[in-house]
Amino acid sequence: MTAIATEPLLEGRSVTKRFGGLIAVNDVDFVVYPREIVGLIGPNGSGKTTLFDCLSRVQPIDGGRVFFKGVEITRLKPHRVAHLGMARTFQVIRVYRKLTVLENLLVSRQWRGESLWNQLRPSHPDTEGQARRLIEFLTLEHLTDSPAGTLSGGQRRLLELGMALMPDPDLILLDEAASGVNPTLVETIKDRIRALNTEQGKAFLVVEHDMRFIADMCSRVYVLNYGEKLAEGTPQEVMANEAVIEAYFGA
Amino acid sequence: MTVLADVAARPRGSTGRKIGLGLLLVFLVVLPLGTNIEGQTWVTNARLFQFTQMFMLITLASNWNLTGGFTGYVDFGHAVFFGLGAYGTGILMTQQHGIQWPFWAAVLGGAVVAAIFAVLVGFPTLRLKGPYFSIAMLGTFVAMREIIRVTKPVTGGGVGLTLPPYLNRALFYYLTFGLAVLVVSVMWWIRRSEFGSSLIAIREDEVGAEMRGIDTTLHKITAFAIAGFLSGIVGGMWAYQNTFIDPDVVFIESRTVELVMMTMLGGLGTVAGPVVGAATIYWLRDVVWAAFFDWHLIVEGALLIGIVLFVPTGIVGMLGDRSGTSLQRLWGRWLGSRDRPGAGPDPPRAAPPQPQGPQGDAGDEP
Repeated sequence: MTAIATEPLLEGRSVTKRFGGLIAVNDVDFVVYPREIVGLIGPNGSGKTTLFDCLSRVQPIDGGRVFFKGVEITRLKPHRVAHLGMARTFQVIRVYRKLTVLENLLVSRQWRGESLWNQLRPSHPDTEGQARRLIEFLTLEHLTDSPAGTLSGGQRRLLELGMALMPDPDLILLDEAASGVNPTLVETIKDRIRALNTEQGKAFLVVEHDMRFIADMCSRVYVLNYGEKLAEGTPQEVMANEAVIEAYFGA
Repeated sequence: MTVLADVAARPRGSTGRKIGLGLLLVFLVVLPLGTNIEGQTWVTNARLFQFTQMFMLITLASNWNLTGGFTGYVDFGHAVFFGLGAYGTGILMTQQHGIQWPFWAAVLGGAVVAAIFAVLVGFPTLRLKGPYFSIAMLGTFVAMREIIRVTKPVTGGGVGLTLPPYLNRALFYYLTFGLAVLVVSVMWWIRRSEFGSSLIAIREDEVGAEMRGIDTTLHKITAFAIAGFLSGIVGGMWAYQNTFIDPDVVFIESRTVELVMMTMLGGLGTVAGPVVGAATIYWLRDVVWAAFFDWHLIVEGALLIGIVLFVPTGIVGMLGDRSGTSLQRLWGRWLGSRDRPGAGPDPPRAAPPQPQGPQGDAGDEP
């Protein structure tokens, strides 16, 4: 199942993150290959989101190194990582509340190589077309011109997913993208992720508590517990793992 | 035609609004000609002077709004750029040794000095958030006044500088009017542009904007430098019109407070807000000053408190433009308000466990 003989898209070597005396992510190695959907699971507080924050560089990495597309991103600025083709969604939703749904998407486009001078213009019609197609997919047409602050929690999750897709990234980090979304829409999101994966070859690293989501979508899973890598393997292997069951359901 | 343009233009009643705006501009263009009409007493040189002051305030408030309203960095020391423009112009026009610059060149020189200073001071201060930035800029402003005071050989120190006097009310009227129109147009354009959207994204959620590929430092510094440059021009014009500058007439704290108050009254983060607010307060002050001579500062202070409490989104916000913001939103994180830009907290500094669920993200308007 695991992809072999290709260069990893994303690779972490002994990634470590400390908050004072607490080690939130401890010496974790991981790899995401192109065209893969990889799961990242673990109990609350096990360091999943912190690891995401380290990867998207909003948190400094205290130890180890991270490579994306062969480029070391361990010390890169967050917007540089985004320019390389990594996008993410957030556990705590981040949308620009005073901008409309359409504007939220327009402003999330790929900014790589765009001079500031070129940005002194309204958005290009192509960008807008792309944004409108995403709005359609996300079933948010009726809200196109509504400020994002007026959307419900589930709608904001969808918008955020759209904002992550807008720059046409190669790797998308999904942080509980399905939580708070109604079950039918969750199925739609899953279909769309599969389509993006198989048709466009996009890779995903997914944090999710919904085990069915993980089992349906992911080819490989990493399990974190207290910041350490507890297990890795296919979803079936991992879910049969004694240590994982122990960590999730306690003794 | 993009939707951003639609937002800027607001479909409802836009034709009527355009006609109204056109008529107002025509009126302001022909107004100075009124001084030639025999027998009327309204359009006088003193009246033109009042309009000149108002145009300068409109321009300054619009500049302030670029960083304070669009980008969300409430600058309590913005008058430092005004002051640098004034002093840059004054020094260049009155050099004892070497060539004395003509007014036009001196104003541009002063504005460039203000812009460069904005870049230099922006790098450290624009890292600070909320009130911390505001206070750092207030400190910068006060420090600059003292620096100007002690660098006597260049600035004239406490004695000040006297510029070549030039009395032509109509000329200054048209200069400041033209500048105000230009600056408001620039702000309108920025608001429609991708750059402007990025600034608002930074205001709404700076961390999110950075992670979505916006070079936030570059954007903030650029906005700050544009605002500094334009306010520097106003300072230069003001210095030439006033013919005398010293640290105490140029670097007045209340000048920044005025700009904040005007922008808030009109509507933070909207193009029209600073214009409406500055015009309203300027003429209101005329009335208040006449009616409550001893009390006018108290009345003004009460007005500012009233705005913050009762019309946080300003006149433009009350009229239905919901795209603006308010001081409560900008400082909500520090003042404990639920309604604030950004959905989430800043990048967690404390230890995990991470907050669960979309907390702090419920409901937009109070």
